[in-house]
Amino acid sequence: MTDQLEAEVRAALHERAARVPTASIARLTQIDYHPRTRRLRPPLAIGLLTTAAGAGTVAVIVSLTAGASNAFAGWTPTPTPPSPGQLATAQASCEGGRSPIAGLPLKLADTRGPFTFSVYASDTSSATCISGPSFTAVSGSTASAPIDVPAGHVLLSTHATSRGGAAYSYADGRAGDGVSAVTLVLDDGTDVQATVANGWFVAWWPSTHSVTSARITTPAGVSSQTVPAGPPPPCGGAPTCTSSSGSTGGGQAGAGSGQTVQSFGGVSR
Amino acid sequence: MDRRRADFDTFVAASTDSLMRTAYLIVGDLQDAEDLVQETLLKVAGRWHRVRGMEHPAAYARRILVNRALDDAGRRSRRRRELTGEALPDRHEETVGFDEHDELLRALAGLPPRQRTAIVLRYFLDLPEAEVAAAMKCSLGTVKSTAARGLARLEQAMRTTNDTRSIST
Repeated sequence: MTDQLEAEVRAALHERAARVPTASIARLTQIDYHPRTRRLRPPLAIGLLTTAAGAGTVAVIVSLTAGASNAFAGWTPTPTPPSPGQLATAQASCEGGRSPIAGLPLKLADTRGPFTFSVYASDTSSATCISGPSFTAVSGSTASAPIDVPAGHVLLSTHATSRGGAAYSYADGRAGDGVSAVTLVLDDGTDVQATVANGWFVAWWPSTHSVTSARITTPAGVSSQTVPAGPPPPCGGAPTCTSSSGSTGGGQAGAGSGQTVQSFGGVSR
Repeated sequence: MDRRRADFDTFVAASTDSLMRTAYLIVGDLQDAEDLVQETLLKVAGRWHRVRGMEHPAAYARRILVNRALDDAGRRSRRRRELTGEALPDRHEETVGFDEHDELLRALAGLPPRQRTAIVLRYFLDLPEAEVAAAMKCSLGTVKSTAARGLARLEQAMRTTNDTRSIST
């Protein structure tokens, strides 16, 4: 009986294994398993003078998949309404598997054409997920303490990455009370309107152009803030500035590299 | 592209098929299996500078996959339910049909994860017991007893099914 059973088990297993769709295997072989994302700069708090809470962050790329070369066709500088089912599809793609998203509530979803950029966050952890027709990429970060962003301010963090040779950048962060709109101006003059919701904002663009300034809309009006190129100097170049070193570690395993959060004042209105 | 990266891409092309089918048999869900293989290959990629010098990189990847599968047994689909309030539909469900050995496979799916894993490694991959032991990080004796218990449960399940069929016909 055992020999017969073993033979049946072998046959059943091979029969079942043959049911794995070839598309699944093709998808897995096309994934780019080499992470490339880098953070362009530490987060910047933009708005009126503020004291920013310490924030140690560490970015972790979980997956970055390959796709067509014309990867970002359909992108728009202004968010577009989601198509039917777009948000649900993106949510299913982003939340599957082990990732920094697990357990984090969805804060906002930015849709531009066929692409959905979602932000998931708790007080001390956040994760972003960009989902397009042929790919999904997830990254996450942690802060050593909840970040307090005062009313009328945003905490801007910019990133650049590439996917199958196609580069894209994104900016995300916390938006303080009263911030109803954020528009980023890139160094090629492009205005990219962010999606703002639930105390967060996000915008992305299919290039490595950097952010040169940001316009923030609050009940008091629209304020504009220049975003210095590259890592910000310690309290240099801003009319009014306070800086505080981000406390890292503090029980956060893996948060070992320090970041500096700077606050800039002298906002022109 | 450097040579090391090219070697890794070759490894992925050669090993993904076996890893995916093995993962599917162990976890029983296509989406979870894809996630598992992706996580495995991400981990291998991160250590490829060491792994590529190994005699059997595929065995190393299989060990990672098996350990992750056993560590996460029962956790993956539960996590999805917690996030969404209900189980997400398996996006490949329509491509999976019925098997001739349905009863046996149902019984296999009902085995404890370690027994099912031992059965899959032993009878799908036809690994020697020593390699099953290495993949599952346990002793040879444990593999023998685990696989034997799994087979006994399968045999019992099949006997019950056959008895039921005899009664109903």
